[in-house]
Amino acid sequence: MVAPAWICLLAPLAGALAITLLGRRISRRLAGLLSTGSVAVAFAAALLSFLAALGRDPDDREATSTAWTWLSAGDLEIGLSILVDPLSLVMMLVVTGVGALIVAYSIGYMHDDPEERRFFAYMALFVFSMLTLVLAGNFLILLVGWGLVGLASYLLIGFHHERTSAVAAAKKAFIMNAVGDAAFVLAFFLLIVETGTLDYAGVFGRADELSGTVATLVALGLLGGAVAKSAQIPLHTWLPDAMEGPTPVSALIHAATMVTAGVYLVARMHPLFEAAPSVQDLTAILGAVTLLFAGLVALVQTDIKRVIAYSTMSQIGYMFVAVGIGAYGNGMFHLMTHAFFKALLFLAAGIVIHALLGEQDMRQMGGLRRLLPRTWVFMLVGALALAGMPPLSGFFSKDAIIASSLAAGGGLGYFLFAAGLAGALLTGIYTFRLIFIVFGGEPSPSVRERLHTEHGEGPVSMTATVAVLGVLAVVGGAVQIAGIWHPFADFLDPIVALEREHLALVEPSVTEDWVTSALAVGLGLAGIGIAWRLYGAGRREVAAPRAVRHALEHKLYFDELYNGLFYWPASGIARAFRSLVEGPLIGGSVTGVSSGARGLGRGVGHAQTGYLRTYALAIAAGVAVLALVFVSVR
Amino acid sequence: MRGPDVTWYLAVAGVLFATGSLGVLLRRSPLIVLLSLEIMLNGANLALIAFARQQGDAEGQIFALAVMAVAASEVVVGLGLIVALARRNVALDVDKLTTLRG
Repeated sequence: MVAPAWICLLAPLAGALAITLLGRRISRRLAGLLSTGSVAVAFAAALLSFLAALGRDPDDREATSTAWTWLSAGDLEIGLSILVDPLSLVMMLVVTGVGALIVAYSIGYMHDDPEERRFFAYMALFVFSMLTLVLAGNFLILLVGWGLVGLASYLLIGFHHERTSAVAAAKKAFIMNAVGDAAFVLAFFLLIVETGTLDYAGVFGRADELSGTVATLVALGLLGGAVAKSAQIPLHTWLPDAMEGPTPVSALIHAATMVTAGVYLVARMHPLFEAAPSVQDLTAILGAVTLLFAGLVALVQTDIKRVIAYSTMSQIGYMFVAVGIGAYGNGMFHLMTHAFFKALLFLAAGIVIHALLGEQDMRQMGGLRRLLPRTWVFMLVGALALAGMPPLSGFFSKDAIIASSLAAGGGLGYFLFAAGLAGALLTGIYTFRLIFIVFGGEPSPSVRERLHTEHGEGPVSMTATVAVLGVLAVVGGAVQIAGIWHPFADFLDPIVALEREHLALVEPSVTEDWVTSALAVGLGLAGIGIAWRLYGAGRREVAAPRAVRHALEHKLYFDELYNGLFYWPASGIARAFRSLVEGPLIGGSVTGVSSGARGLGRGVGHAQTGYLRTYALAIAAGVAVLALVFVSVR
Repeated sequence: MRGPDVTWYLAVAGVLFATGSLGVLLRRSPLIVLLSLEIMLNGANLALIAFARQQGDAEGQIFALAVMAVAASEVVVGLGLIVALARRNVALDVDKLTTLRG
């Protein structure tokens, strides 16, 4: 179980290194194949590891393996270790499985790019980083993975480094994540001080001993990191801009894997979060607020990738709700199905963008239904899954979360339930707004002009991978059907089972499941109906009040707020220091010293007449004075 | 003890020193300035030897010998400089050699 996990972890690293070191000695196509191959090997290894785990007793599916002691300081010993357990296995399978498909898709998508090799090296590096994150056996390795995925994300968002907007977006993502990472690291320091170890087992074993304040602070710090990585309010502003990266990057990093790391983190650290119930509630509330906010903003976006990006934020909001109320299994379930259908949507959108030679503005699109028939089917499947229509995967996972929040009960539970249902309505509207605008109606003049007929729907590497994801998006939900069978939850159970006793168990009853499903599907259908009335039949923009539209188009002014709160004061202080301190004080002191010395020299220089007799007289006078002094002092 | 009193010797030494000083300060030819400098040194030597005689020990005489040695070397350097100046057709006038003006 452990040996394949090591292979799984190291294969993508080997791929990245090979592509980097071989450079121009291999063809661009081979670089793509190498990258795909290394991730596929990782997937095969993950599958082996998973099968080995299935063969074991359910309580014996956890294994730690330490390569060597990586760091030791005093009593603190930190090994280079990985932890293989059901939770990391699920993540390994999702990351490498979806990752392999997306990297394979990139071979076709990135075909015309002159810097293909760099792209594939980065992609393999990302998969390695993400695997480090999910396989980490202690907090420090987790932090290494956490930082590496941030780096890979930065490199890939800024892949088109000749575009200033891409570079700015990359920096924005890095800085917003650094804010979260700082909170994350502070929590680690607190853990070292309080528990004296960074081992998962060691820390979790002592989670109950932490005092209330410490537990809350630790959980808050961890939540800060999770919120930044998963683009939840208030550290979400980087994700829409991250769409500057190539579309496969958006699919892999900013939809399927990296942005869900926050959900994984909360699930992994659940003993710490359970020790701080107020932070758990905060997690759920942030998730609910984000899912509503992102759903609303998605209604007015015009860039096809940004619509999907906001939808990603919204869906991760659902997952945060789930892990916030302790329904870890449901959160991970939605993480998995979301990875399938969101990667599908992104890659299908990638085909559209590819066919239209880079056009991303939905207002320029239309009538692609007949021109790109297969893409239309893929996109429709993804959209239906996203909107939670039965029997597609999104239906099972999203309804499970909403039902869990109903089962959690209390004021918070009902609020989350209402938010989840409202989110279902919004999801229906914005998803099918995209579908109707892009695929419905007649081809627009711009489409006729730009459609690259030779490209069509792209090479097999693109359509085949999207088709596989489409199948997964349809059947992926079958691993767990509420009330009928739940192997997924059973598989994950050992991780959370130990602490289950003091947790209010959030298992919705059958009635709650049915009521929730009926409501959610009804609202989703209503959303689709609204979208049809507004965008499908009429194809016109809605006459919303201008203030509302304006606010949504500016994403509720978060960017402006952060500009006002952080950027302007900081640059103002910097400017003030430049004109008040740097100029007169620092520069002034330097020039003052030099000009003072020069003036003094000029003054003293006048004493140097150049006449020999002056010098001689000065010496004589000096001697005379000295003689006088000696004589008189005695 | 024979001979005039030490005061006389000192008086002669003072006259020599003053003469030399005036020569250094007033004359314009570097050669004469060097000569005047020698006169000053000899005035000092005379004073040293007079005191040595009065005190009855040899220290002053040894000092005078040292001064003579230094003076000889100084003359070598000084005359060398003057010859070099003359060779380069520079005017031998200390009032015109004012390159050190600040």
